[in-house]
Amino acid sequence: MMRENDIIVIGGGLAGLTAAAVAAKRGKKVMVLSLGAGTLTIGGGIVDVIGYLEGNKPVATPSAGLLQLPAEHPYKKIGRPAIEDAIKFFKEICEEEGYPYMGNLDTMQWVPTAAGTIKPTCLIPKTMNTEELQKANKVIVLGFESLKDFYPQLITKNFKKISRFKDKEYETVMIDPNLAEGRDVTALDVARWLDTEEGISECITKMRKVIQPGSVVIIPPVLGTRPNYRIADRLEQALQCHFIETASVPPSITGLRLRTMMVSYLKKIGVRIVEQATVAKSIVEADKCVAVVTEGIDRERTYYAKSFILANGGFYGGGLLAEPGKVIEPIFNLPVEAPEDHEMWANYSLFSNEAQPFAKLGLEVDEKMRPLDADGKVILNNVFVAGRNLRGYDYSFEKSGNGVAIASGYQAAMSV
Amino acid sequence: MKKHHNNPDSCTACTVCIANCPVTAATRKFRGPKMVGPTLERMRLSHEDVEPSLEYCSNCKNCDMSCPSGVPISTLNMLARAKYYKTRKHSLRDWILSHGEKMAKLSAATPGMANFGMKMSRGILKQIGISEKAPLPPYAPKSFSKLFKALKQKSYPDKVVFYPGCFINYNDPQVGMDFVAVMQANKFEVIVEDGLVCCGSPLVVNGFLDEAEENAKTNIQILKKWTDKGYPVITCCTSCGLMLKQEYQELFHIEGVQEYAKHLYDAGEFLLDLHDQGRLNTDFGTLNEKYMYHSPCHLRAQGMGLPGLDLLALIPGLDVQDVDGGCCGISGNYGFKAEKYDIAMSIGSTLFDKIKESRLDTVVSECGTCRLQIGHGANVKTLHPMTLVRRAYEAKQK
Repeated sequence: MMRENDIIVIGGGLAGLTAAAVAAKRGKKVMVLSLGAGTLTIGGGIVDVIGYLEGNKPVATPSAGLLQLPAEHPYKKIGRPAIEDAIKFFKEICEEEGYPYMGNLDTMQWVPTAAGTIKPTCLIPKTMNTEELQKANKVIVLGFESLKDFYPQLITKNFKKISRFKDKEYETVMIDPNLAEGRDVTALDVARWLDTEEGISECITKMRKVIQPGSVVIIPPVLGTRPNYRIADRLEQALQCHFIETASVPPSITGLRLRTMMVSYLKKIGVRIVEQATVAKSIVEADKCVAVVTEGIDRERTYYAKSFILANGGFYGGGLLAEPGKVIEPIFNLPVEAPEDHEMWANYSLFSNEAQPFAKLGLEVDEKMRPLDADGKVILNNVFVAGRNLRGYDYSFEKSGNGVAIASGYQAAMSV
Repeated sequence: MKKHHNNPDSCTACTVCIANCPVTAATRKFRGPKMVGPTLERMRLSHEDVEPSLEYCSNCKNCDMSCPSGVPISTLNMLARAKYYKTRKHSLRDWILSHGEKMAKLSAATPGMANFGMKMSRGILKQIGISEKAPLPPYAPKSFSKLFKALKQKSYPDKVVFYPGCFINYNDPQVGMDFVAVMQANKFEVIVEDGLVCCGSPLVVNGFLDEAEENAKTNIQILKKWTDKGYPVITCCTSCGLMLKQEYQELFHIEGVQEYAKHLYDAGEFLLDLHDQGRLNTDFGTLNEKYMYHSPCHLRAQGMGLPGLDLLALIPGLDVQDVDGGCCGISGNYGFKAEKYDIAMSIGSTLFDKIKESRLDTVVSECGTCRLQIGHGANVKTLHPMTLVRRAYEAKQK
């Protein structure tokens, strides 16, 4: 009679949501226990696979980068075929939800940032594609009055230093969304303005005055908050221009779209998501986990399943806890190897060419993503690990965060 | 058990709360949960810092639900609002909206007259700042406590204590009666205590924190007698439930609350637990009906998933789909206020559109004021899950 799930996923970030989608697609009964809205809305909503190697060496393509990684890297355990399948699976979800992503392992996508730099990535919403930008002779950088954190002049100035963009003619223009009343204006506010019929009509009218048809226009990520291209298509049709969204500071609109899309997809395929669920501990019998226990402000609740996928993040998400001299994985108490002298956890040099040691701390797993002890023996047979709590990579340094999340989430759910 | 911690410094200013705040999405007058909550709280700790846009927080708790660092942002806001009103007078409007229970008691003698009077006095209500368009709930001809007293229950050794709350008691007593019928079908006797008062949720959101604490003490004292003996206390209203077990702990320092909170249940959650123990009466008749389900924010905030939806899935023939349309906007009495009405309707518009798209004429939801707002905004009928569970039992007997 007990309500038992086939799989419980702990964590509602991209790794957990991907794992849940894969498992549910495989016909499993899946429940996600999630605390907070994950970090998707802080990240850029793009899928970095691998951009840099140790020593800050850029890689030509994600494929090339994958070949050069050290054995300890999560990608090495997952293997190229599963990484490819994971990307294919992710792109299928996007397609099904009407918000297709573009890109593949053999192409490095370079997306412009609001600081006027470019960053390497792999999968992007089509509004971040820079092909048209590379072809264009003249580029318009469009800002919004009172919008913080997007300065067209800064972008222009820095683009002129980038070899592939330096020989273009730039023009900066501003339009006023009339959002000055009340709080500071963020890209989210502008995106919400464009979500409304009045907003988009007004915006089109204002844009017509400052941009010529046929222009390539760089804008902040404001093309609507929802995971579709309706706002982008509408603007492009009305103005006969090509719009390119930059990556920007949080709150990330592209990240918000990605999360909204994943959650909506999961609900459609019957995954139950329990919000505000703080998983505090597990009930383990021999080499198997029987249940996990959440602690609410009221009482504990026990959730049973045949298998568990641990995707609750690293130090920021709460999946790993740092204490003086040791790192703790609080739910299963899995071992995390870390230097006893925690002075050794950080690389103290500013603008260093090396990854941060603390960022590479995490759980050791086998190729099925099961946690391993110091001797390389599987600790729990029905627990699989995905995402930021894996050891051996510094996503921020090497630009691999969402790529590892998707690939390890996929691999974990396929191993169940 | 999780220790409660109102530490604004846990906020890393990541902005996820802003992306998930329905009020921020609907109006620029609100500076947003991060700024009004943890950011300004650091200032308030050292000196009084009045932030006018604090008025716009609806306490819907979507910020708390999205925070990766466990900051109870909305609670910081409610505490700041209480501090503000320590030295200032409340408006008559806010007093009336906060004291629904007192108003109901005044009207209880002649509910027909009160309803008639309410229609007549919409003009007066408008004068004091209650929107004339707001879906104010009518009083029921007989309160739940009257109906309950007239009911002859079968006695069983298993008993639960029911906390009806103001809305069920005075506006929608049938939900309470349906709950009692469902418990009887499961061989439970329902106890209703006379001295229980409003949970205090409407008081807290309007800054009457001291009064809310008095209510909390009264309720806890009565309910604790039962919970100390291990009796479960059950609510059918998700805002009452959240208040009784979570917000009492976040807002007040009352002895023994942690212990008492362990025994508080949402009706759907309690019945599903019975199911897990193999003792839920699953002798349901078939209901060949189709509905949309709206999950109240105050249920989602409780960290137990959507038990009402899971429970309804056990009824043969019944097809209930989660609308997944976000906050309805009403947030207790927020949407009744003249200056907030449009904001509330704008917040609920996604939900209303999704409901209209479904072309179904009835929506199921646990929260009474969500049901009011949905009926108003999407022009549909509404039901509490307990009503459907009762119907399913009755369908079998026919």
